[in-house]
Amino acid sequence: MTEEQRSILSHIQKDVNLSKTEILLKGLELLSEYYSLGLDTSPLSLELKKLEEEAVRHTEALKRVRSREDALKEIIRELHDIDGIVDRYSGDSNALIQILLDIQKQFGWISKLAVMWISEKLRVPFSSIYQIVTFYKVFSLTPKGRHRVRVCLGTACHIRGGPKIMERAERVMGVGDGEVTPDGKFGLERVNCLGCCALGPMIVVDDDYYGNVKPAEIEKILSKYE
Amino acid sequence: MTELEKLRSEIIARGDPKKSIITVCASTGCSALGARKVIESLREEIKKQGLGGEVEIKETGCLGFCELGPRVIVYPEEIPYFRVKPQDVSKIVSETVVNGKIVEHLLYVNPVTGEKAQKLEDIPFYKHQLRLLLKNNALIDPKKIEDYIALGGYKALGKALFQMTPKQVIKEIKKSNLRGRGGGGFPAGRKWETTCNAPGEPKYVLVNCDEGDPGAFMDRSLMEGNPHSVLEGLMIGAYAIGANEGFIYVREEYPLAVENITTAIKQAEDHGLLGKNIMDSGFNFRVKVHRGAGAFVSGESSALMAAIEGKVGEPRPKYIHTAVKGLWERPSCLNNVETWANVPLIILNGADWFRNIGTSSSSGTKIFSLVGKVNNTGLVEVPMGITLRDLIFKIGGGIRGGKKFKAVQTGGPSGGFIPEKYLDLSIDFDELAKVGSMMGSGGVIVMDEDTCIVDVTRYYVDFLSKESCGKCVPCREGLRQILNVLNRICSGLGEGEDLKNLEDLSKLLKEASLCALGTTAANPVVTSLTHFRGEYEAHIHEKRCPAKVCRALVAYYIQPEKCQACMACLKNCPVNAITGDKDTVHVINQEKCIRCGTCYEECPFNSIEKISPPIPLPPRHGIKVKRKKKKE
Repeated sequence: MTEEQRSILSHIQKDVNLSKTEILLKGLELLSEYYSLGLDTSPLSLELKKLEEEAVRHTEALKRVRSREDALKEIIRELHDIDGIVDRYSGDSNALIQILLDIQKQFGWISKLAVMWISEKLRVPFSSIYQIVTFYKVFSLTPKGRHRVRVCLGTACHIRGGPKIMERAERVMGVGDGEVTPDGKFGLERVNCLGCCALGPMIVVDDDYYGNVKPAEIEKILSKYE
Repeated sequence: MTELEKLRSEIIARGDPKKSIITVCASTGCSALGARKVIESLREEIKKQGLGGEVEIKETGCLGFCELGPRVIVYPEEIPYFRVKPQDVSKIVSETVVNGKIVEHLLYVNPVTGEKAQKLEDIPFYKHQLRLLLKNNALIDPKKIEDYIALGGYKALGKALFQMTPKQVIKEIKKSNLRGRGGGGFPAGRKWETTCNAPGEPKYVLVNCDEGDPGAFMDRSLMEGNPHSVLEGLMIGAYAIGANEGFIYVREEYPLAVENITTAIKQAEDHGLLGKNIMDSGFNFRVKVHRGAGAFVSGESSALMAAIEGKVGEPRPKYIHTAVKGLWERPSCLNNVETWANVPLIILNGADWFRNIGTSSSSGTKIFSLVGKVNNTGLVEVPMGITLRDLIFKIGGGIRGGKKFKAVQTGGPSGGFIPEKYLDLSIDFDELAKVGSMMGSGGVIVMDEDTCIVDVTRYYVDFLSKESCGKCVPCREGLRQILNVLNRICSGLGEGEDLKNLEDLSKLLKEASLCALGTTAANPVVTSLTHFRGEYEAHIHEKRCPAKVCRALVAYYIQPEKCQACMACLKNCPVNAITGDKDTVHVINQEKCIRCGTCYEECPFNSIEKISPPIPLPPRHGIKVKRKKKKE
């Protein structure tokens, strides 16, 4: 008996609770039947193949179930996080905007799931939440890039060349206002004044402020981010 | 009350007047220029030189001169240093702190006289200011209530609670003629009285820090630099009006302001200055911070209150003012950050003192954010009534790069353009309104000859049309139509009828819009048409942009006699529209050129010319470069 056979044997023993000899006898019985049928026309081999295929299907189904399980776990985790945020405001429906702001900050966007969950938790109609999310500029219904690039186009920045900065950023990143680069790295936004007017034109990547920016510097600034 | 005084004298006794204090501005502006690194290096350097017990490093609020940040002041000598870099830190510590010597190269140099300023007052930017509200920004660590208390903080609240009745507080504010700093200039005392007398309980007091005007940042600076002054003002107002609950609305773009005011509230609560039975006076007050979510229109009072209720921040018709029926249909008094910050000063020093500052119709000081094409940009606080000329030329140091002044725009997107002939106008609420502009929240945007008025007007209308909530038709559709016309004019497709249409649409907006966003939206259009009609006409009839800004009306041309064939423009052109080589003068292919202006900025020899109307000279290829002799 090889090592492998021995281990299979011990497994079967454990599963069916039979003695070694009984198993061996059953195995021999099967084998003799198998040989008596002849190898080439053996329906058993076909049957075995079917079994094998079935096993593959089962494992795939299992994988699907697992991944769905993972997804569910992910969703539950997200909902737990949202619960935490809602609790911070003691479930007060007047704090809806504050809750949405926190969710936007934590997840980078507001998923449909989040809207549904909040709607249920706060007893606020789905449509009202949707109305708020689409009215205010901060909220996004699609995932944002890993880094948030904001180009200021307030008046002071505008007359000091802000539009050229925006244009260059659009060209360098290959996306427009409110879009995300295909690799999900950067999200570009134009904003109306960040209150740093004395330093215009300015751009902000995540929380890093860059003042008195020249169009040619955009590439260098963006290259700092992974 | 006595406890507060006890605490105050304790804090003051703890401080050693001889101790060196290094204050560094840690507000958004200076942080953007690297203040955080300066603070870190300072801490390390102090440790390294073993001065931990003798030197204190304080992170303070904004001092206004943001352009020259990061800013450091060394006390007790009060030496101001500008543009400090981490590598300058060891010198500041070893020379100024240890030896009392001045680090010359970090001082402010007056560009006109060449003198170096060893005190803040020696700098023209500060010399002409009257800093009542901003003064403490330089001295206080906004995250420490002790600093505020040491400088007399919450004294005014004590005075109001123990020596005055609510009626007397309102009377004092009315007498002071404090007018709302948020834009309208409505007398604050009258608003308080209305809310106080309005039927319904509970009453609310609110702070408006939804500083949405692009180009203005005084509220941010106060909120970040001295949050307790706003809080104290709000509490005095609440006491006078009879409110026990307040809200502070801060826009989302100001994370540091949110952080500092939240800390301030927590600390005030810990010290018994906020919450139940404040200073054993029996007065209860609590306050919540509400972050905005990015909507310009939410700065309007009824919209702001809707936002706090958790709804869409849209205005409603105000047949009944929010002072009577506001937040949750209850009497609600909303004032701007700067208005509230003035209140403790008035209570402490009296209405007469306040009335003596400023003009007869507008008392006190006003903080302006002086930005745009001016030499000294930043926050300035001046008495009402100062002339625009003094503000721009004395404090602002004139126009950048020696260019010519064209116009100044006050009051944000809804304000108007003021031309040179009105430069001697004294700034107060009424005078600005007379020339078709407004105080707004105090943005002063200076424009030079390189600024195209039509383009800036288009910018404002674009901004407002995007920010219009869309509830009423005149604002939603009117602004869109104005924008269409302006877009056409800027792209060289203007027609004779356009100016008439602009005027008609402006009139419509003013008469028929629901809220102030719409009724004032036409101000930039109207004032620019009045004072700069010639620019519009040049755009329409000559297809020429006098400031050479509007892209469709400008062409770039390389002057062959000036070009040094350095390849700078050629390499940087994003569309490869420039031809030439190391020995041949470069030529722009006008058909390929997208007029992005990159070449204009990259050329080290100023050989590229902007031409408007966009009819450049015919290109001449293959000219050999005439190099200028290098200076020995």
